[in-house]
Amino acid sequence: MQFRRALGLLPLALLLLAWELAVQAKVYPPVLLPPPAKVLMVFIDDWDTVLGNALASISRVAVGISLAFLFAVPLGLMIGRYRLLDTMTDWSIQIFRSIPPIALIPMALLFLGIGDKPAIALIFLAGTWPLLINTIFGVRGIERTLLKVAKAARASEFLVMKDIILPAALPAIFTGLRLAVGGGWLTVVTAEMIAVKSGLGYMILNAQLTFRSDLIIAGIIVIGAIGLLADQAVRMVRAHVCRWQEGLTASPE
Amino acid sequence: MSKFLECIGVGKIYPGKTEPVEALRGIDFTCDAGDFVCLLGRSGCGKSTLLQMVAGLEKPTSGQIVIANRELDGPSPEAAIVFQDHGLFPWMTVQKNVEFNMKARGVLAAERRATATQFIEMTSLTGFADRYPHELSGGMRQRVGIARALTTRPKALLMDEPFGALDAQTRGKLQDEVLQIWEKQRTTVLFVTHSIDEALLLADRILVFSPRPGRIAADIKVDLPRPRTSQSPGFVALARELRGLVGADREID
Repeated sequence: MQFRRALGLLPLALLLLAWELAVQAKVYPPVLLPPPAKVLMVFIDDWDTVLGNALASISRVAVGISLAFLFAVPLGLMIGRYRLLDTMTDWSIQIFRSIPPIALIPMALLFLGIGDKPAIALIFLAGTWPLLINTIFGVRGIERTLLKVAKAARASEFLVMKDIILPAALPAIFTGLRLAVGGGWLTVVTAEMIAVKSGLGYMILNAQLTFRSDLIIAGIIVIGAIGLLADQAVRMVRAHVCRWQEGLTASPE
Repeated sequence: MSKFLECIGVGKIYPGKTEPVEALRGIDFTCDAGDFVCLLGRSGCGKSTLLQMVAGLEKPTSGQIVIANRELDGPSPEAAIVFQDHGLFPWMTVQKNVEFNMKARGVLAAERRATATQFIEMTSLTGFADRYPHELSGGMRQRVGIARALTTRPKALLMDEPFGALDAQTRGKLQDEVLQIWEKQRTTVLFVTHSIDEALLLADRILVFSPRPGRIAADIKVDLPRPRTSQSPGFVALARELRGLVGADREID
């Protein structure tokens, strides 16, 4: 199993090899395509720049996605539970979720100026729709007998929400969270290229202006690595929270 | 024995897609406290619909249902229901599942735990309190469903084809256990089944349903001494009579 997992590194190793060969063959001048070793040096020489910007990006995503979670999950539980709310919100959700957050950057700048606020607002929007839609979907998927059990036991609406609807929707909520974190991460990098003066997006755009291609590539590597780690983290939390699901689903998610 | 449950001219009509479907018409019967009554009939004859209405999960379109001198309007605190597909919450352990009906009534945690433990023992589930439903066999899951129903000490136990999905051996075992529980608790039992043998093994009285629209075709008193087996004297004759009434083989469907 451990060995199998290591197979996931194979494509990355091949990419690294191709990169080194391209440098050796001088496909591009070194100022455009630095060797892997030089990019590695960035993490030693400029670690504070990389770390500082990475933390700025991560905290924006953390705040934006947390806000989206607190907003979308309760709302989704209600929409999923109450037919009338669903009818009311269905069209709006379909319209707003079709708008890429990037398209809202100009408006975010006009209303919120330059800084953390527009970036966080965009991440919030990027995370809200997948969370909302998956939460609704999760509530819909609940077995009808379970609601009958609750009704027959004369359970209060609050208990039904807390002990039945929420846990039933949790696996779907986590699917939404994975999508939200992924979307939030894509959005933060883009937003930082335009709306803020810090973060990994800002760092790589700035590196282009100063011809630091090594810093650009280092930035891209960090963006990808954090994306992977964030996804793994959500999966681990999900596996823990939804451990009652083990052995219920056909394949481990 | 006092009159416990009364159905007066109960009918149920579903709106249906093209035209209304009459599921039940003119159901009249009374049943005394402590009776074991089986509702027998082929599928689609409305026997489950009647049980759901007695459970307060569906409203009759005509007539009224009276439990313990009170006209039914929603689930009665005097009754508890057991479903064919268990209705166990997959994210709760056996213990938490058994505690649910008490939790819905606001019973305090310590008392819930003690009562649940008592009924877990009664249904031979000791040692499985911390398991999740998917880790149990079908028969054990149904025991959890029965234990949960018993915790509020209902005067009526409503069972909707509880053993329909079980193999013959497990079924026989659970039938014995239900009889033991019934003799010990002296609850009124309303038991839906499509098996003539099951009805004859369990019931004091069998209401035979005929379909389209569902109505009571016969009300048979079963005076066979307990414990019964399918070899009991009188069993075969009664089975033949019932087979004629429901117009099908031993296992209808």
